[in-house]
Amino acid sequence: MTDQDTANAGSPSSPDGIAEQDIETEATIEGPEYCAYTDYNQDTPSETSLPATGENATGVEQRVWDRLYEIDDPEMPVSIVDLGLIYGVRAVEESEDTTGDAADAAGTRVAIDMTLTYTGCPARKMLTEEIEAEVRSVEGVSEVSLDLVWSPNWSLSMVTEQGRADLREFGLSVPEGEEA
Amino acid sequence: MSTETTGLGTPESLTDAEREAVEAELRPLADGEFVLAERYTEWQVQAPTLESDLAISNIAQDELGHARLWYDLLEDFGYTEADLIWEASPGEFRHPTLVELPFAEGDWADAIVRGYLYDAYESRHLHALEGTSYPRIADRVGKVLAEEDYHTQHARNWLSRLCDDEPGRERVQNALDRLFPYALTLFAETEHEDAIVEMRIRTESLAAMRGEWLEVVVPRLESLGLSVPASEDGEVLVDLPDQVGKDGSHTEHWPELLEEFTRTYRKLELGEPPRLLEDPNEA
Repeated sequence: MTDQDTANAGSPSSPDGIAEQDIETEATIEGPEYCAYTDYNQDTPSETSLPATGENATGVEQRVWDRLYEIDDPEMPVSIVDLGLIYGVRAVEESEDTTGDAADAAGTRVAIDMTLTYTGCPARKMLTEEIEAEVRSVEGVSEVSLDLVWSPNWSLSMVTEQGRADLREFGLSVPEGEEA
Repeated sequence: MSTETTGLGTPESLTDAEREAVEAELRPLADGEFVLAERYTEWQVQAPTLESDLAISNIAQDELGHARLWYDLLEDFGYTEADLIWEASPGEFRHPTLVELPFAEGDWADAIVRGYLYDAYESRHLHALEGTSYPRIADRVGKVLAEEDYHTQHARNWLSRLCDDEPGRERVQNALDRLFPYALTLFAETEHEDAIVEMRIRTESLAAMRGEWLEVVVPRLESLGLSVPASEDGEVLVDLPDQVGKDGSHTEHWPELLEEFTRTYRKLELGEPPRLLEDPNEA
């Protein structure tokens, strides 16, 4: 997350009225099925299901969420979960796992969907590798597959209450009810 | 949407023809963002104010981020970043030649006009991908679009400022005269154009996108007192340059730029497999 994100967030950022918005894309075309390409994600994240916080998670999923809470954003002292970057955590059932290797190892394959605040994030590899390494060492996890997803678009509305408090402590104020 | 009839599936499930069309759509997009950013970075310590240093760096960073998102999708097909960029030959790149041209020396107006013409196109292109039949692209379009508003604002703001007086407007006019034919390469069709549109990988043809682009850029540029070699009705008074980029043909400036930004990669011999022992046959 850059200063620019937060700086822009407070003010409406609609550009002046040139016809970018006037160009009608063919509204009648129905969108593609979101995430048709993922084999494990039954609960497609949506604006309303986010932020995902692992509130009702149990077992290995809960342990993974606990570990993810310990990982901070590279630029600010706020957990990646509280920042709203994690869209989902799912323990993949043995029977669904057709990739082979994991079946032999003791433990569960865990699939994580996450996003980044902006596409040009220079910490992408650093962060994803850290997450993979951390989660792999969680008890009961044999394998981690981390998918970067970009839809829905991350926004300040995905920052949790705890995240807002941590950001305030750090000196950044997230406006109440900010939908970015 | 009925996925059975029109939607494409996972990268692995595409037919050869579908994969070729997806690649043909993505490659110019990825390369275009990447090369534009490479050129922008030349300005980042030389823009006219500290704020514009930051702005152009930030825009370059966004475009690199977008390039990475599109290259990711080419990597789904088994390519590596090294294949696509660091070890690719000049002719493998498919960006429109507008983005590879060097800036006229010290000409900030060139950077602004180029950015404006490109961003107006990119926004149109992204809108034409919002209804794409390929889910991997669909996932990314919204994110990229959201980051483009600022670029367009930046370019429009600077265009107005530069056109505020006669010497400034003259600079912008010179840049426009030089760049406009190259901007038309943004809409150059490839042999895959029909397939891309038929498979609804992109929901609008490049010809239609060009028409919409002219409807927007021509009146705006004219309102700033500039003369544009085209009309908003779609009439264009200049020819496409000989090198359009999207077919693999490039200007003489391209190999030079590629050579320059891959130099560190080559110096570090990242393309050479590490060897612990000398090859006995060569010893």
